[in-house]
Amino acid sequence: MVKDGGQLYTIEGVAAGLIMLMTAYLVVGATSVYTPGDAHINDMQLEILGSDALKMLDTPQNYTDSKSPLQQIVETDDGSRFWLMFNNTVNNRTGSIPDHIHFTANYSYRMTADNSINSSFINASRNLTGGEHAVRVTKWVIVNKKLPGSATFQDRAVLVEVLLWRD
Amino acid sequence: MTDESGNLSIDFLVGFTIFMLAFIWVTSMVPGMLIGLKSNTIDYDAVAYRTGVILVEDPGWPVSPPWESYSDGQKDEITRFGFAVSKGSPNIISEDKINRFFCSSFIYPDDYHSRAIFGDYNYFFNISVMDVERNQTRSVGDVLPDGYGYIRRLAKIKGLSNTTIGQSQIEKHHYNNTENVTTHEFSVVINNTKLLGDITDPAYQIDPARDTIIINLTDLRSTIKNVTPSPSTIEVKSDTVAITLSSIKVYRWDSGVLSMVRLYDKPYIDGRNIPDTPPVSNIKDNVSLIINPRVFDIMQAGYSQLYINFTFNVQPQSNPLSGCTFLNNTNNLKATPLGSFSYDYFPDNVTQPRLRDAVVEVAVW
Repeated sequence: MVKDGGQLYTIEGVAAGLIMLMTAYLVVGATSVYTPGDAHINDMQLEILGSDALKMLDTPQNYTDSKSPLQQIVETDDGSRFWLMFNNTVNNRTGSIPDHIHFTANYSYRMTADNSINSSFINASRNLTGGEHAVRVTKWVIVNKKLPGSATFQDRAVLVEVLLWRD
Repeated sequence: MTDESGNLSIDFLVGFTIFMLAFIWVTSMVPGMLIGLKSNTIDYDAVAYRTGVILVEDPGWPVSPPWESYSDGQKDEITRFGFAVSKGSPNIISEDKINRFFCSSFIYPDDYHSRAIFGDYNYFFNISVMDVERNQTRSVGDVLPDGYGYIRRLAKIKGLSNTTIGQSQIEKHHYNNTENVTTHEFSVVINNTKLLGDITDPAYQIDPARDTIIINLTDLRSTIKNVTPSPSTIEVKSDTVAITLSSIKVYRWDSGVLSMVRLYDKPYIDGRNIPDTPPVSNIKDNVSLIINPRVFDIMQAGYSQLYINFTFNVQPQSNPLSGCTFLNNTNNLKATPLGSFSYDYFPDNVTQPRLRDAVVEVAVW
């Protein structure tokens, strides 16, 4: 005769097992809520800052200025001016201690010959190593420039793209 | 007989089930409790963001006349603060609005909470604006704690336009009249229709119905010159002449008809901080008008052509025989352009609105 010592009798055992499985499932599922809800707040703040900075650089100081600083920078490939203006603008704070945001910038345009996209480096406050958690901001700018250098002067739309990150 | 060892009883199973259900319920509550704690900082950031957007991208309410032109007694009519010069020009903020926002007539936190922060929860906050070019920071609110919601916005402050009619302008345009009169009238024309039509971008527009304009008349005594002293006449010394500002009349030109609409009664004389009401005697050297947009609203002259006429009384009377001149352009054929001084987009006449870098920070906790 088969002994039944040490066994669970059918329905009780199945019920207890289901309850434990359900518990484990709920507990594991519940812990996933611990993912920080504000993980993207810093990214959002950085993105707004970058967008504002590009917008301000693309605003002439007077109505007599026919071109914005950003247009002039792209037209003359003046990377040092971009570094100075963008760095000051994006790191300005109302307190005495400036922020420490780094950036790298370039602009892109369409090659009319073969419809490919060509990019030109503007300047960077630090080289991008790949480990940074950077956000990307862009601004379309109309410039009168030879793009590429072998072309004639004409109004072209270029996309200025800046990657920003904090240390 | 069946061996019962190792079996679970029904009692135990029921008890264990109840316990496990309670345990599951409690466990599922814990993350909710944590979310509740965490959501405060998320909420603070969201409120700070919202306030930043309202301040930098919105002109506030009322718009016309703008809220910043409302006096302290009318501040209850202001429903929303906002710095933007217009809804179509975000990030271009008005110097007038910033000045009014930080003036002492608004009380922290109530006046600011109901017009900029909003919401039922009594947030603490700090709002600060930095004029980068002038290195000037103004703020309202509490001292920042360790943790708070935060947003920083970059903007441009639209400076105020102004004109200073001094000796160089007076000589250049021949505004120093030599007529044999004691009463001299100097006129400044503000053609709102032309101002709004010539430049349409609100960032650079001179719009007296939205922005304060400033008119300075300086070097008044310098215009009293002994141009043709004759041995037969008594030479007039400029420092012995008494200058009185009799009145400042505002005329409106509508459909070919010029009509006086009001007397302007708040000129600032000789750099004093409090305006005087004409007639004002013994003026030393300058008269300034700081014209609030509300003046144009009261006159319903946002699209009209206005003449602001300063009437001066000079004793002893100026005339060529006594070799004396004084500021006058309403009856002077030599004046160029003939007649009134134009408040316009000509940079030689008027210092144009200029954009300056600014930083707006909002912290909420």
